[in-house]
Amino acid sequence: MRIVHLFVICALVFAAAYVYRIKMESTVRTESVLRLRADIRQQRDAIASLKAEWAKLESPKRMQELALRHLSLRSIEAIQYDSLKNLPPRPPSFAKPGDPDPIGTMIESVDLEALAAAASEDETLTGSIPQPEGAR
Amino acid sequence: MTDQITRPPEPWRQRLIRTLLYGRNVDRSAKARARVGLAIIAFSLIYAVIAGRLVMFAVNGDGHGARRTASQDAIATARPDILDRNGMILATDVKTPSLFGEPRRIIDKDEAIELLTATLPDVDAGEVRDRLSSRKGFVWLKREITAQQQKDIYRLGIPGIGFLRENKRVYPSGPVVSHLIGHVNIDNQGIAGIEKWLDSNGLADLHRAGFATDRQQEPVQLAVDLRVEHALRDELMKAKDKYKAKAAAGLVSNVNTGEIIAMVSVPDYDPNNPREANDPTRINRLTTGVYEMGSTFKSLTLAMALDSGRATVNTLYDARAPLTYGKFKIHDTHNLGRSVPMWEVFTESSNVGAARVALSMGVEAHKAFLRKLGQLTRLRTELPESAEPLVPKRWGELNTITIAFGHGMAVAPLQAVMGINALVNGGYLVPPTFLKRSREDAMQVAKQVVKPETSYSMRYLMRLNAEKGTARKADIKGYYVGGKTGTSEKVVNGRYSKKQVLNSFTAIMPADNPQYQLLIMLDEPQGLPETHGFITSGWNAVPTGGKVIERIAPLLGMVPRFDLPPSERLILAASKESR
Repeated sequence: MRIVHLFVICALVFAAAYVYRIKMESTVRTESVLRLRADIRQQRDAIASLKAEWAKLESPKRMQELALRHLSLRSIEAIQYDSLKNLPPRPPSFAKPGDPDPIGTMIESVDLEALAAAASEDETLTGSIPQPEGAR
Repeated sequence: MTDQITRPPEPWRQRLIRTLLYGRNVDRSAKARARVGLAIIAFSLIYAVIAGRLVMFAVNGDGHGARRTASQDAIATARPDILDRNGMILATDVKTPSLFGEPRRIIDKDEAIELLTATLPDVDAGEVRDRLSSRKGFVWLKREITAQQQKDIYRLGIPGIGFLRENKRVYPSGPVVSHLIGHVNIDNQGIAGIEKWLDSNGLADLHRAGFATDRQQEPVQLAVDLRVEHALRDELMKAKDKYKAKAAAGLVSNVNTGEIIAMVSVPDYDPNNPREANDPTRINRLTTGVYEMGSTFKSLTLAMALDSGRATVNTLYDARAPLTYGKFKIHDTHNLGRSVPMWEVFTESSNVGAARVALSMGVEAHKAFLRKLGQLTRLRTELPESAEPLVPKRWGELNTITIAFGHGMAVAPLQAVMGINALVNGGYLVPPTFLKRSREDAMQVAKQVVKPETSYSMRYLMRLNAEKGTARKADIKGYYVGGKTGTSEKVVNGRYSKKQVLNSFTAIMPADNPQYQLLIMLDEPQGLPETHGFITSGWNAVPTGGKVIERIAPLLGMVPRFDLPPSERLILAASKESR
């Protein structure tokens, strides 16, 4: 009988401690929830005021004033709009698909050293017309 | 039962007492057991109730903390944001601190007043003194101060002075949407425009119940397009200055859905500073004012004749001489001197011709047609401001003659826009709305009022008027504009004045399949050297309309088309095919 009593008392103490811990934990969590909520509210208010500021900055009225002051643009006319349909057809491509890039191969085929050697010998290699005598 | 048998017999005295107390055949031990059982049940019930209540407390949590934070801000309650059709913010809430005082807790009032007025120079010292000397527990000192001011006052460390965070309504686009959106008072209650409509649609009830404190409310999306609204306002302001007009107003509406894309009435006010709104010259002329619409009304007259099937656009009407009715004489601006077909009545804007068209239909038919188009009854929209049209009480033939060309009856311009929308969109009368609405929803509330064929003819007439009539100056290349001008003389001292006119211009675009209608109104424009001194609509309202169209058409997503055939071939031929 005594053992049973002892056991029950132990259980009671343990239960009390356990309940106390749960209570403590829940209080802490409630507080953190409240703090988070306040935080969220604050953030939301901050976002709202930033958004309001942004809307003010990008309002068409302000944009127009800025454009008039800083840009020398005129308003667009109907004739300046066109649809993609009216684009001229794409020019035919001479390179077949799978061929190496034609311009790339052309550049690579140029012998740079030979060029440099030629350049030192002949001034007219660049293709520009040599300055005529007494042009000045 | 068994122990009753084994129990020794009681002495007779005891038996006597027991008999006297409990009755003869009552078993005391059984009764005692029943009583103990009853007590057990009663106590366990009480404990169960207590336990249940504890569980309830635990589940519901204490709302105490939440209530405490809520009471610290949000005196002025939150309102939903208002967005334009593209999601740009038109109105939003921003938290701002407000300064209050608790006079009973202030120790040195003079010092407090001195410090406060030094920090807030725009506060009246006498008023602060009055408020702080009152015996109230709570007084406002200044609503809506800046964050910097709050910091400064906080540093002063005056006891009995505190801050509450309030929601302040701000309108980032300022005066651009003023009339449409309305404004709120210092307690964030809507007192005009869409803001008031929000309150009358349940928001006020939420406020009273104390729920609308956070910004968790669904934003309200309007039909208005801020860019179009700005372009329209900008051009109207320029026109108002250029023609020295008293006022100007403009409206862009979607022909098929009845949405109002832009609505401007200048002079307007800044909703961030609602005091300006009380100035009577700043009223919203499009919904709160009623006007004789002038020749714009001829569209309705001609549509009536076309819709009856008794006339076509080629029917001839007598415009040889001014029309005499009793002692009244109806003139044209210049006498045509011949019979003209209906399309010429429209392009020449002949008063005599229009009057003859109306007379050929009769007074009753005229009245019935205007009623069908909603011109005789008050038009209600989301905006709380609306005006009753002025309709003659006794409507005789003379009234029909004058109303045929838009005099003698005054309607709100928005109402006329609704009527003309119905004439060009295939015959559906769609009540205008300031909220976003899809084509399908519009069709649900729409009512067929004229035949589709009539609608084709009206498109043709409007386009023809831009090709060779009074609306030539608004024929912006590429957008196939159609339109009708109106110049109505204003009544001054009971007589129609030649010098003071109200000009209007109604345009549809594109005329072969209208999407948008534009209305421009100029109040008392003056003649200029470049208009050769003319003050009729074709010289001021129409060019303004042209400029507006040039700016807003790309914003409305209209694709410019060039090399379109003239209206006879494009619209009339198409309508014959569809028949």
